[in-house]
Amino acid sequence: MARQIRRLGVVLLVLYGAVFVQLNLTQLVRADGYDDNPANTRAVQRDYNEPRGQIVSREGVVLARSVAVDDPTGQFERQREYPTGDLFGQITGYFSFTAGSDGVEKTYNDDLAGRTQRDTPEGLKDALLGETQTGDVVLTLSAELQQLAKDQLAGRRGTVVAIDTRDGSILAMYSNPSYDPGPLSQVDQRAADTARQALLDDPAKPLLARSYRETYFPGSTFKVVTGSAGLTSGAVTPDDPSYPSSGSYTPPQTTSAISNFGRSVCGGTLFEILVVSCNTAFAQMGVDIGGEALSATAEAFGFNDVPPLDLPNGASSPIASAATLEADPPVRAQTSIGQNSVRATPLQMALVAAGVANDGTIMTPHVMAEVRDDEGTTVRTYEPTQWRQAVSSEVAATMTEAMVQVVERGTATRLQVPGVATAGKTGTAERGDGTSEAWVVGFAPADNPRVAVAVIIEGEPGASEATGGRVAAPVGGAMLEAALRVVP
Amino acid sequence: MIAARRRTELGLMVMAALITAIAYTLASLGSTASIPADIGPILAVIVGLLAAAHLATRRLAPQADPVLLPVAAALNGLGYVMIARLDEDLAALQATWTAVGIGAFVATLLVVRDARTLAQYRYSFLALGIALLLAPLVPGLGTEINGARIWVHLGPLSFQPGELAKIVIALFLAAYVVDRRELLAMTRRRLGPISLPDLRHFGPLLGAWGLAMVVMMAEKDLGSSLLFFALFAVVLWVATDRAAYLLLSLLLFAAGAYVAWRIFDHVQVRIDTWLNPWTDVSGKGFQIVQATFALAWGGLTGTGLGVGHPDRIPAASTDFIFAAIGEEMGLLGATAVLVAFVLFIGGGLRIALRARSPFEQLLAAGLTAIVGIQAFIIVGGVTRLVPLTGITLPFVSYGGSSLVANYILLALLLRMSDRANQADQADRADATQLVER
Repeated sequence: MARQIRRLGVVLLVLYGAVFVQLNLTQLVRADGYDDNPANTRAVQRDYNEPRGQIVSREGVVLARSVAVDDPTGQFERQREYPTGDLFGQITGYFSFTAGSDGVEKTYNDDLAGRTQRDTPEGLKDALLGETQTGDVVLTLSAELQQLAKDQLAGRRGTVVAIDTRDGSILAMYSNPSYDPGPLSQVDQRAADTARQALLDDPAKPLLARSYRETYFPGSTFKVVTGSAGLTSGAVTPDDPSYPSSGSYTPPQTTSAISNFGRSVCGGTLFEILVVSCNTAFAQMGVDIGGEALSATAEAFGFNDVPPLDLPNGASSPIASAATLEADPPVRAQTSIGQNSVRATPLQMALVAAGVANDGTIMTPHVMAEVRDDEGTTVRTYEPTQWRQAVSSEVAATMTEAMVQVVERGTATRLQVPGVATAGKTGTAERGDGTSEAWVVGFAPADNPRVAVAVIIEGEPGASEATGGRVAAPVGGAMLEAALRVVP
Repeated sequence: MIAARRRTELGLMVMAALITAIAYTLASLGSTASIPADIGPILAVIVGLLAAAHLATRRLAPQADPVLLPVAAALNGLGYVMIARLDEDLAALQATWTAVGIGAFVATLLVVRDARTLAQYRYSFLALGIALLLAPLVPGLGTEINGARIWVHLGPLSFQPGELAKIVIALFLAAYVVDRRELLAMTRRRLGPISLPDLRHFGPLLGAWGLAMVVMMAEKDLGSSLLFFALFAVVLWVATDRAAYLLLSLLLFAAGAYVAWRIFDHVQVRIDTWLNPWTDVSGKGFQIVQATFALAWGGLTGTGLGVGHPDRIPAASTDFIFAAIGEEMGLLGATAVLVAFVLFIGGGLRIALRARSPFEQLLAAGLTAIVGIQAFIIVGGVTRLVPLTGITLPFVSYGGSSLVANYILLALLLRMSDRANQADQADRADATQLVER
């Protein structure tokens, strides 16, 4: 029996070795991911009662601050206050003792709590003197533009994103409905939980930051990607091919045809078909250039990846794989006009416009401009980085030219900023219930771009290509005009 | 003259007492920033209990292994500190149960002077084991807590008879199998690739195993069910060296597990939350997710005793105490607990190897396997290495029945160790005499 007893020892030792390995994985290797999990409230619990810095907009408007509170239980000395209410709710996020945190409160928790400043010589001195330290986070977002976005949406469900194309700074990002983080962050936890539950139960989902966590069919705005894929593949030039004038197009391997809105007849070269947003022509372009080309350009624009925005839990914008698109021409045709296998967040579509605007280069989107210590000294500044080279500068220039014509004489005339060359593309994605999402993406000035926008207004009645131009384009135009004043 | 083994044990016991007292003080400093007011009485109780156990081994088992008792004491002490930090009322009860456990330890050493005598009561043990296992199913006696019907209430007392059952079943198995191990190792029938012994010898075992399984299913106590299965498999395999038994056990277990999975919702939930707890972090996956967060938050060195949030983990003082330790003492503390169990297993198997009779060999191996496998089941479950099945962490978790049973188990191991070492000494003395002549 001695041999078996020794073997039993070996078996048990192996089992305990496996536990040890698993412990190392959980406690060291994967620990950061678990610590940052939205369901994990430990970081908030640690910091909830500590002094905490402010979150301010680019022009210095206070968006979040800690104020003294008279807690009847004596457990807490201070709580978070959000003076702008729901205007920045989905950006700052909340800071709740029981529910954890979200938004900037989460991403920049260590800065707000003063933990990163402690690494500086000044911070070390303060720490030795026992002085409290906090950091203020200055955002790239403008309170003025954010308010304009909210006013322009005028209560309709939808999202407005404005971004500085040169460095990726988010200038405005507002979705309706939004929420006020104040009630979620109060020290009375029962009241905070009630407030949170009410938001969770709300069918309009105000807690959902539609701007970067919800995806939609991009509709015709995706033709910017399809056109870029055509140009990149070399199969499409501004002059060739000229797609046949047609009211419907039937892709290979299917009998169900793709038709234009209102059964209109259209066709022609790249600029012509983009100006009138010709479904049949772009569907045929997608089928002709092949799944590999379409997929490669879409992924170069950032599809199938989560944009590295400095806010937690962003969504990726999915598109079918190259293999699927290659093997299935009907899916490829519908995907080419922004339906079927492709979905996009409003942020992703803003990044598509920003990439075309910035010579094909998409800068990493971000909401943090800089962190200051409690004396107002800048501790660190966001260093802009390139996220993607979506297309070559030549392709970007051609697409810019085409998108300018869409604004000058096509579906997006209402995006026009007075006196400034403006580039854009509308979209109307049918939801199948008689309503549709009205989209517009664009940027200005077209000759030396500074600002890109994406606007989606959800569930507009009717479905015609005009919907995006009629409903979304005026919002985008107003945003572009105001944003150009903010970033001169 | 004091045996050298007892001097070693004394030194280790002092260390166990120091670890416990220091950890207790640190936990109090961490949560209230003050030296605990009751550190004097607490220290007195710790020293008193450990001294009692140590004096008992001096008198009653002077040549027993010197490592096992201190390892158990350190685990018990660490568990107590964690429980005290989580729930003061439970801590007082745990201290009482520790006293009862050490009382049972001394009593076992007193009553059982030679473990071999236990073999003759094999069928009494079987009957007792079955009675203990069935007790929670008796209406009016058993109660269901947290979905598992494993408790028995007698007046003000409540206990889990399953904890004691595992020892008496191990006693029965060792005694029954050791007599028949040649017969069981012989193969008479073939069942496909598996050769089986005569059903006459094997039948009763299969019956006992089936009964244990059925009872466990009725009580919905998956952890104990798994433990009993492993105990059967280990004892049969060690006795016969027939891998077929392991294979057969594995097949039977797989069948049982599949049936359980089909029949019981809670088994499906366990499997689902093991594979992916993240789909329902606030519902079904809550407990295991909280345990994962606790371990991750602890990191390498832990938050420090009294400074973490292990109170967020449901059942932190019982089944999930390992996660609480991992949060506040980090990877280092959690690894120390694992090492303690490895030391216990090593000591137990050494006793099995040195035991003078086959019965004692098998019994020591079986008892050691119980502790080693039970600790693995819960520690592996808490770390999401294997599906979670609720069971106590021996010596560490809160729980009276568990503590008492494990101290009795420890006493039996030390009893066998003492006899083997005494016999060795006698052999050596004979040899010396022979040489001198």
